[in-house]
Amino acid sequence: MDDILCESRTVNKTLAIINTLDLKYTYPGGTAPSLVDVSLTIGKGDYVILTGPSGCGKTTLCRCLNGLIPHFYSGKLEGEIEVASLMVPEHSIYELARHVGLVFQNPENQLFALSVEKDVAFGLENLGMPREDMRARVDWALQMTGIYDLRERAPHELSGGQQQRVAIACVLAMKPDIMVLDEPTSFLDPLGAQKIFEVIGDLNKKLGITVILVEHRLDLASEYANHVIVMDEGKVVLDGKPLDVFDSESARLIGVGIPKATRLYQALRQGGVHLDRVPVNSQEATLLLQEVLTRDRG
Amino acid sequence: MSVFEGFRFRRVLSPIHQLDPRAKFFYVCTVFVIAVMFNQLMPLILLFLIQLPFVLAAGVQKEWIRSMKGASFLALMIFLFNFLFTYFYREYPTFPPSSSLMEYSLAMTLRFIVLVESFSIFFLTTSPDRLGLALEQSHIPYEFCFAFTTAVRFVPVLAEEAQTIMDAQKARGLELERGNFIKRIRNYIPILIPLIVSAIRRSLELAEAMESRAWGATNKRTNLYVLKIARGDYILAIISIGMLVLAVYVWLFMREQIPSLIPWITG
Repeated sequence: MDDILCESRTVNKTLAIINTLDLKYTYPGGTAPSLVDVSLTIGKGDYVILTGPSGCGKTTLCRCLNGLIPHFYSGKLEGEIEVASLMVPEHSIYELARHVGLVFQNPENQLFALSVEKDVAFGLENLGMPREDMRARVDWALQMTGIYDLRERAPHELSGGQQQRVAIACVLAMKPDIMVLDEPTSFLDPLGAQKIFEVIGDLNKKLGITVILVEHRLDLASEYANHVIVMDEGKVVLDGKPLDVFDSESARLIGVGIPKATRLYQALRQGGVHLDRVPVNSQEATLLLQEVLTRDRG
Repeated sequence: MSVFEGFRFRRVLSPIHQLDPRAKFFYVCTVFVIAVMFNQLMPLILLFLIQLPFVLAAGVQKEWIRSMKGASFLALMIFLFNFLFTYFYREYPTFPPSSSLMEYSLAMTLRFIVLVESFSIFFLTTSPDRLGLALEQSHIPYEFCFAFTTAVRFVPVLAEEAQTIMDAQKARGLELERGNFIKRIRNYIPILIPLIVSAIRRSLELAEAMESRAWGATNKRTNLYVLKIARGDYILAIISIGMLVLAVYVWLFMREQIPSLIPWITG
């Protein structure tokens, strides 16, 4: 089953923005490798959800994507990794930072300045961008994430959801091709999480930014995704379209938080009711159920 | 810790807040130098009064009074020590022969109060952000300026964390307010260790976030904000220089003629 899924996904290599081949990494002092033979292809403009149990290597993979591994963390990296046509081990983190933006789990620890707009400008200041261009870029990023009104506030006065949107704006201001978000909603309440997913969805749709979202709350997030990767114990175990992955037996066994709508579909199938498609969210499930019900009556 | 209360910045808009931190710092330094030059009561009282308009113009009276109250205990100690020590060591070289013991001790106390006053005005009316910017534009290496603003940024975060750790340790039966002085200090070890460990972890995460946002990409770093020296800053600088010139003149030629105030006070 797993092999079929892996094969079924054929991305044209020329459209790929991230390519890894047999990536293997061990943290310094680690006994077992944290990534084992990870081979992935992610297309330009994709919205990828990366999920799997805690400690399965998701964060490690994120660190590889913007060069924190192997430049910031030493340790042993084997295999090939190419991001935005750059071989990661050969380019410094600040070169990669122009192409790959990384948003971390804890919003508090990635904001350093004393005002929101200064924080958003931090990356651009580091790149030495002229002030007028920077002003325009900062305002644009603040508007895209819907926090323009907060620009003069201090980051520590904001709520977690607002802080995380600031963190996204910080990364967005550098106009990356790829945005990697490492469990951005784990410190947030459901409403704040919903807001974050909307912002990320917008960036993907309107700006064509490739999104890689590490997430456990698949109910909310999977609406936007077109590619799901499941990892377990450092390996990629499932890789394919959301519906195929969620519907597979192994996803359930690993403990992936399969969307409730998909679970309903599976339960109905066991009971002999077949819906036409696999639903991912409740609206879709409602529509499909209505169809089936009217068909049965008629 | 109420002395430090008077140094904590609050976001208010006033002509004093708008001034360039460098101009304000120059003013504070001038006050400092003048306060150290004189050890008679009269000029120090003048120096104290001159600064009151600044406090009023900035609208920070409440915070300023709080910091003055916080300083009062230290001021009292300074008065007592000066009084006792000069009483027993009359040969102390800087002791001016014309003034009395009382006046000298009062002057020393007032000197301290003037210093606290001027520094608290500076910190109450200067946002750490602008202070960091002023440091940067004074050609201090960016790493130091960044360390400064980040330290200020993380004070509330660490304070909150210390509170959480204290609550957690109390919930496990740690009694902080028990035992003698040494015992009480030792009680804080189970709070300090987790706090330090988590601060180190936090700094690692911060470093990761900084690296991810192109830290160190170029030597010619730019800045979103820029401090421009405006008319008010020139005025403040001219006032400071005027005060300094006047003080030097008085110190050189009229030092002996500064009247003692003790007869006035005692009537």
